[in-house]
Amino acid sequence: MTDIPVASTGEAAREETLQIAPNPPRRALSLHRELHSVWSNDPGWRGQITAVNHTTLGLRFMCTALFFFAVGGILSMLIRAQLATPEGAFLDTELYNQIFTMHGSIMMFLFAIPMLEGLAIYMLPKLLGTRDMAFPRLTALGYWCYLFGGLILLFALLGGVAPRDGWFMYTPLSGATYSPGINADVWLLGVTFVEISALAAAVEITVTILRQRAPGMKLTEMPLFAWYILGTSAMMLVGFPPLILGSVLLEIERAFDWPFFDVARGGDPLLWQHLFWLFGHPEVYIIFLPAAGAISTIIPVMCRTTILGYGAIVAAVVALVFLSFGLWVHHMFTVGIPHMALAFFSAASVLVAVPTAVQVFAWIGTMWKGRPEMHLPMLHIMGFFLTFVMGGLTGVMLAIVPFNWQAHDTAFVTAHLHYVLIGGFVFPMMAAAAYWMPQITGRARISGLGEAAFWTILIGFHGTFFLMHLTGLMGMPRRIDVYPDNPEWIWLNLTSSVFGFVMTIGFALFALDLFLQARLGPKTERNPWRAPGLDWAMPLPAPSYNFASLPGPRQLAGGAAAMLSMARGEGLLPGASRGRRELLVTETGSARPEHVAILPGNSDLPLRLSASIGLFVLLMLAGLYWLTLPALALVAVLIWRWGRGMAWGADQPAVQVAPGLTLPTQVHRRDTLGRTGVICLLVANGTLFASLLFGVGFLSVVAPGWPAPAPTGPEGLGAGLIAGAVAGLIGGSIAVRLAERRQVNGQDVAGPVWKGLIGNGAALLCLAALALLVLDDPTRHARDALRGVMAGYVGLHALIVTVMTAFALDQNRRAEITAHRAGSLPAWRLWQDFSVVIALILGAVAIMQGAGG
Amino acid sequence: MRVLALTLAGPTIWAAIFSAVYALHGVGCAMGWTEIDLVIGSLHRMAMASAWLVGILASVALLVHLPSGPALPHWLPRAGAWVGIGATLFTLFPILVTSSCGS
Repeated sequence: MTDIPVASTGEAAREETLQIAPNPPRRALSLHRELHSVWSNDPGWRGQITAVNHTTLGLRFMCTALFFFAVGGILSMLIRAQLATPEGAFLDTELYNQIFTMHGSIMMFLFAIPMLEGLAIYMLPKLLGTRDMAFPRLTALGYWCYLFGGLILLFALLGGVAPRDGWFMYTPLSGATYSPGINADVWLLGVTFVEISALAAAVEITVTILRQRAPGMKLTEMPLFAWYILGTSAMMLVGFPPLILGSVLLEIERAFDWPFFDVARGGDPLLWQHLFWLFGHPEVYIIFLPAAGAISTIIPVMCRTTILGYGAIVAAVVALVFLSFGLWVHHMFTVGIPHMALAFFSAASVLVAVPTAVQVFAWIGTMWKGRPEMHLPMLHIMGFFLTFVMGGLTGVMLAIVPFNWQAHDTAFVTAHLHYVLIGGFVFPMMAAAAYWMPQITGRARISGLGEAAFWTILIGFHGTFFLMHLTGLMGMPRRIDVYPDNPEWIWLNLTSSVFGFVMTIGFALFALDLFLQARLGPKTERNPWRAPGLDWAMPLPAPSYNFASLPGPRQLAGGAAAMLSMARGEGLLPGASRGRRELLVTETGSARPEHVAILPGNSDLPLRLSASIGLFVLLMLAGLYWLTLPALALVAVLIWRWGRGMAWGADQPAVQVAPGLTLPTQVHRRDTLGRTGVICLLVANGTLFASLLFGVGFLSVVAPGWPAPAPTGPEGLGAGLIAGAVAGLIGGSIAVRLAERRQVNGQDVAGPVWKGLIGNGAALLCLAALALLVLDDPTRHARDALRGVMAGYVGLHALIVTVMTAFALDQNRRAEITAHRAGSLPAWRLWQDFSVVIALILGAVAIMQGAGG
Repeated sequence: MRVLALTLAGPTIWAAIFSAVYALHGVGCAMGWTEIDLVIGSLHRMAMASAWLVGILASVALLVHLPSGPALPHWLPRAGAWVGIGATLFTLFPILVTSSCGS
């Protein structure tokens, strides 16, 4: 690697600027043809299933999310039609329950989250100055999992077997006793399937922001949108695992009668509420932050100025990311929690308004110092201010315990959450659509229709939901389908319903506006908003590769005006002369270029892998549990093939990215994007593990029906098997270190890898023996069920590291691990060490519980 | 990366102390620590207050050790530390003023 000169520009601030010479200019058209042949999707129908490009998939995410938004919207109209009169006969109770459950579930899981994922996937590489996301196949896998999971939920609705227990699926209502049939299973399995998509997006978004910013774009100088999305992805990594754990536990309880939530056998329904809201409240901020990122991007452009208080906004984002995880109990204020705990969470719920207000004041200040131009995006932002601030204020009201007790589970809460979600997400997303549609389509919009849509939505929304505050304060509960004894609610409900239809007409106009712009709009000028960001420094609509040459410090200084320089190849890594997809990987903080990553091309493997996961989900839904094992084996085979696609059989020469700057490819680096991705995944896994420990602690300490019956397994054998499993995994951990040492020295790694395989295999055998010989019937008591889950969790990790060891052996056999190529060893080491830690902790917990018999 | 780690340090201290105090609250209520008197308060309240104090001291120590200056790489970690201190003080002050296990 060539050293990059650094120029000091001020000792006090210790600013450093990279000095990278420009590449010689080339013909833009030949560069375009060269790049397009490498980065474009396959032609014809095959391109529809093999595309991995972020532009294509980002758009697909957003279009699919809009489709589900339309479905959720239609369901909301059915709800409003039912509630327009006190004894509506439009829907029966069963169907009404399914519809309101699906409305909430679709809007949360199939519209809001995928929409923000799509926006991030589409915009981030363009804003950061790179050509794609870190893991293009993972992007595609996420999309297919989202689509298939969504279709499972949608077909369940059409088949009359949709979930009907509310979008939060409270136990015991969602348990097997009160929800027989597959309705609740559809939710648990379908939503978890969709969450694979969310986790995949979170991993690659985090890695892309941390490692793929344009050289010279320091962390403290990157666009605010990237800060917001980084906060969002970090929250998704930590926020989704509790829900995944809760869903897995509830599905196990429903399918196999393990009593995690059954009070009679040591379980507790409140465990579900804790796990759900540990996800559910951060979820609100997961949805809000990307929207706020769009607002922070659009307001300065619309006001012809720069953002006020960049640092304060970043600090506010950090504060929101953390504080939002300390509020979840405010959804549970009425379940009988002690006063002091209520006060902790009430205080945190009030406090979170402060960083939110910091942002609102920064945006107002930005408008104040600039010259606001009331284009359509700005109209939607005004709608956001009006609506979101009102929703925030009712949120502070609900954070106060005595008020919460009065308003809990009434239409007031429904009004509040719609003010926050439509105000804090839908209006900003409409602003983002109006702002970026020229970038996406290359067309200008047809004047007038968007404004009509905005006013119709604004009037319809407030007419619907402002009144709902009053309905709630008059005592109307949520989720009821008739109210024959409460004539005082009639006119409010009828008016809400009328305005609800007005709002729907507005959204239909909005959709029509988008469609007409995409199909019939006149060709837009190159940078219609005169925005400074890199997202406008490219031809419109954006080409598959984004930038003909990647922006360096010179281009960053020029912003959107640097487009011609990049199109002529004067930036870094111009063209695609090696016939493969390449981009630059930079250091996390300073954004110094580190190496060149070679990305995979078009592939149908993501589709096949998601289809095999879908097969597993469908077999679970059908109750064919034994047949899920071959489906899981198919998943494992495809993951193996996925890994094979990342292997390199030969050394790769270093790549010249600019005159005097030659960088190695990732094949010869240990700190690859893949390794950072594994770390992100393990952060999510660690959160799931922490949630499991929380569950063990919660049930052990709080749940009724404890202490559990005494273990009946052979005395001493359990402790011995646990010690054996831990020792085997530690052996694997030592083996991978020895293998790495031999690899660096250019020696054959087969010996230590074989020892690792034996160690991990022994751990698996010990855990299997523990389950068969020692652990009690998991249906007997929640403690026994928890032990089963703990053993299964460690066993799953032992299996994963065993497979990784076998993969390393295979790589070694193929001569893919050499002195200059570590292959899969770094990833194996991370997983192995994680497995040791969880085995040690869970082993200690089990022994303390008396698993030794 | 160092700037990011330092910025997250303050809120991380809050998250750790908030979790620890909530856990101590649950365990103390379940194990009857409110009945064990330690002269200036019950074992339950003293345990939580001690954890709270540790959190405050750790946050202040972090702030003291962070370099100061107007540049964002210096300003952000200090802002993060202030977020941690403010959140630790405000969200856990109920330790001093409310009944611990009554509902």
